[in-house]
Amino acid sequence: MTKVKSINRTARMTVKLLLRRVATSVISMLVGLTGIATSANAAELNIYSHRQQFLLQPFLDAFTAETGITTNVVYASKGLAQRLKAEGEASPADVILTVDIARLSEYSDLDLLSPVDSAVLNAAIPSELRASDNRWFAFSTRARLVVTSKERVAADAISNIEELADPQWEGRVCTRKGSHVYNRSLLASIIAANGKDAAEAWADGLVANMARRAQGNDRAQAKGIFEGQCDVAIMNHYYYGKMLHGDKEDHRAWANSIRLVFTNQGGRGNHINISGGGVAKYSPNRENAVAFLEFLTGSLAQQLYGEVNFEYPVNRSVAPGGVLQSFGEFKPDTLPIERLAELAPQAQMIIDRAGW
Amino acid sequence: MVATFLSRWSNGPALQVDGWSASAVLVCCLILGPIAALVVTAFGDSGGLWSHLVSTVLPRYVTNTLLLMAGVGVLAICFGVSTAWVVTRYEFPGRPLFEWMLLLPAAIPAYIIAYTYTDFLEYAGPVQSMLRDMFGWRRPADYWFPEIRSLGGAMLVMASVLYPYIYMVTRIAFRLTPASLFEIAIVHNKSQFWLVGLPLARPAIIAGLALVLMEVVSDFGTVEYFAVETITLGIFNVWLGMNNIVAAAQISLFGFVLILSLLGLEIYARSRQRYSGGTRKHTGLPNIVLSTRGQIACIAVCMLPLLTGFVIPVGVLLKLLMSGPVGTQFEPVYGTILASLGLAASAAVIIVLLSSLIVIAATYRGGVFVRQLAVAASTGYAIPGTMLSIGVLIFAGMIDRSWSGLIGDQRATLLLGGAGVLMTAYIVRFQAVGYGAMMSGIRRLPDNMMNASRVLGQGFGASLKRVVMPLLGSSMLAGGLLVFVDVMKELPITLLLRPFDFETLATYTYQYAKDEMLEEAALPALMVVIAGLIPVILMNRMLRRAG
Repeated sequence: MTKVKSINRTARMTVKLLLRRVATSVISMLVGLTGIATSANAAELNIYSHRQQFLLQPFLDAFTAETGITTNVVYASKGLAQRLKAEGEASPADVILTVDIARLSEYSDLDLLSPVDSAVLNAAIPSELRASDNRWFAFSTRARLVVTSKERVAADAISNIEELADPQWEGRVCTRKGSHVYNRSLLASIIAANGKDAAEAWADGLVANMARRAQGNDRAQAKGIFEGQCDVAIMNHYYYGKMLHGDKEDHRAWANSIRLVFTNQGGRGNHINISGGGVAKYSPNRENAVAFLEFLTGSLAQQLYGEVNFEYPVNRSVAPGGVLQSFGEFKPDTLPIERLAELAPQAQMIIDRAGW
Repeated sequence: MVATFLSRWSNGPALQVDGWSASAVLVCCLILGPIAALVVTAFGDSGGLWSHLVSTVLPRYVTNTLLLMAGVGVLAICFGVSTAWVVTRYEFPGRPLFEWMLLLPAAIPAYIIAYTYTDFLEYAGPVQSMLRDMFGWRRPADYWFPEIRSLGGAMLVMASVLYPYIYMVTRIAFRLTPASLFEIAIVHNKSQFWLVGLPLARPAIIAGLALVLMEVVSDFGTVEYFAVETITLGIFNVWLGMNNIVAAAQISLFGFVLILSLLGLEIYARSRQRYSGGTRKHTGLPNIVLSTRGQIACIAVCMLPLLTGFVIPVGVLLKLLMSGPVGTQFEPVYGTILASLGLAASAAVIIVLLSSLIVIAATYRGGVFVRQLAVAASTGYAIPGTMLSIGVLIFAGMIDRSWSGLIGDQRATLLLGGAGVLMTAYIVRFQAVGYGAMMSGIRRLPDNMMNASRVLGQGFGASLKRVVMPLLGSSMLAGGLLVFVDVMKELPITLLLRPFDFETLATYTYQYAKDEMLEEAALPALMVVIAGLIPVILMNRMLRRAG
């Protein structure tokens, strides 16, 4: 009996020792890194960003230089909204930055953003480019347009996005995956303009015209035209600027092989999307957060959007930079951006059925 | 991995309660918490989306996933088993070198090899450009070339980096096969490989295969880049495209159940087989010396996976690196290297300690219940990283809310916002790796060792300390190194759950690669590979001692 007891005692002590060691190491890791999470500091701003670091950094540097507020960032693309939701009231996040209305609306659907009543923002941003309840705001716009081969396609061969489904383009069209958020929003704009059935017929026609399986990002489509795999592609306009003015010779060659076609200029205008953001519902540094959003719509930052990533300013008092002007003037679709988010699930279903 | 160890545990009392099993149960429950959170999410209302999915895309997702699993599985077994056999049984020039170099591809994450192969084999890449120059082709329509961004391409690249899981365990199995059995085959002039080596190595091969298949199902980076519509890619379309986390959780559970049923099938098929006498080495049996032609064949067998899994991708990365200014690139990567190493090392230590606790409790203390719970707790490996992160977030949110309620401060957090939640996710995901290594270590010990020590008057703790633990040292190291490499390579969980201003080499690589800026991605990608090499080499030294 005594032996059994002593065995139990030793076992228990070993467990205790082992657990204590595990606990110490876990706790020391946690203590080391949770401090940041709980701090609400007067001169700090915590950002959850879907935008990549090299695109955001110039804005953060300029903001810190102007206000003295330091910024902390988490960069991620998938699941940040779920993270914010799980963190709830304890979340350290002040500002959410993202691209595409579909992602912005995920945040507002989950009730993760708080309304901001700011005269500065209201004056700077046209009403179709911000939420009707002031929970999110656009800071820049991007046009999703058609690009054609300068060599193999006549300049006036295509003028409306709808024509991409014409049999004359059979085996000549390249795009990235249909389920990518950019294409989903584009299809949502077509649903809004022409109705669900016409949009589905369009998607079927487009898929039938594809030169290769949908793949790669937008840049890869320009490459496909350059290489002769495709003649027509769908692309966000800023990729053109990045390729043409980047430091890579091959990318310049791709850009030089394509022509930008702003679509539907005789009708509703070219489909546009936004980059935007909002203030987190439980933001610990709310004043700084609002100051940051206002900063993003000011002339310095609005110019920066054009310089860093060739995106169009939302603030109409700021003229697009020289490079943007070289792309040509165009008429944007003025459909309230919110509609795109509402129609996104329908668009995804059509994409699933069409196998785009 | 799960399959191999379950079959041995068919007897013993249902449940014993003591400190060991209680703490093992507690740890298992904590690990299962996030998985349970996902299950609960899946039982929410998806608004009828499920029927849309079943009638449109789900059959395609499932078919693609099964095809990918089959393709990668077959290819990885071919690579892994053939090389393991050749290096253990034959003598040929370069054999000792190949023995460890064959592990090198394990250091390369599948998403990085996907980027490099696309660069290498696509229309504008060096291979096709060379072919065009040679044959005077001008347009894609002039010739046919296999598309790398395809199901077949995904099979090839994933098998090329995943086969070491099979190679590693199969090599040990071949070495531990008793020489007498090979001698019987020799005497009867029968095939040593088909009649002795392969059948006896089967549990090891299956264990490796299980890990490979779980990697395949949970992979996101490669299938996204290659646009292969697997279940995992489908999860993201549903979640981000339709704002429907419930349906996404449903699909991920579907994939999870798929894996579990495959494992269950295997367990059932082997439930009455026993493999014993595995502790003797085949010492005394010399390696077979071959003719020149045979030696060339051996070298070719070893070169093939090494070329596809290591030499070509690393070559492409080096070429990309050379095309840009190297000096300016190194500076921002430096801090990232330290962060990656520190994170991977802490995760390895924590996971090995937890696995040891669970394995010891399951083997010597707890009954069937603890054993089954231990198996269940190592299934996180089969869930795609991002979905697992969601489960961890929900679970951590629950814990933090109880915590903040307890101390009366709504902003207080225990896990969220810091590295705690990231570490929790690593534990849930990589528990299988540590558990597998520890379990295979403890299984190699004779069943009576503990009993003998106890009979000789040692207590349980003392027996553990003096007899069992020293013999488990190499398994702990092996498990720790595997976890270390896995954490170094891990992408989706780190991307989502990391604290503010925190980069690892993997996230650093990804931010450029996803924008097809491969030159900028090359240096951090190479760093991931180099950091992965060190444990791979250590692992090999240990394997040598083990065999």
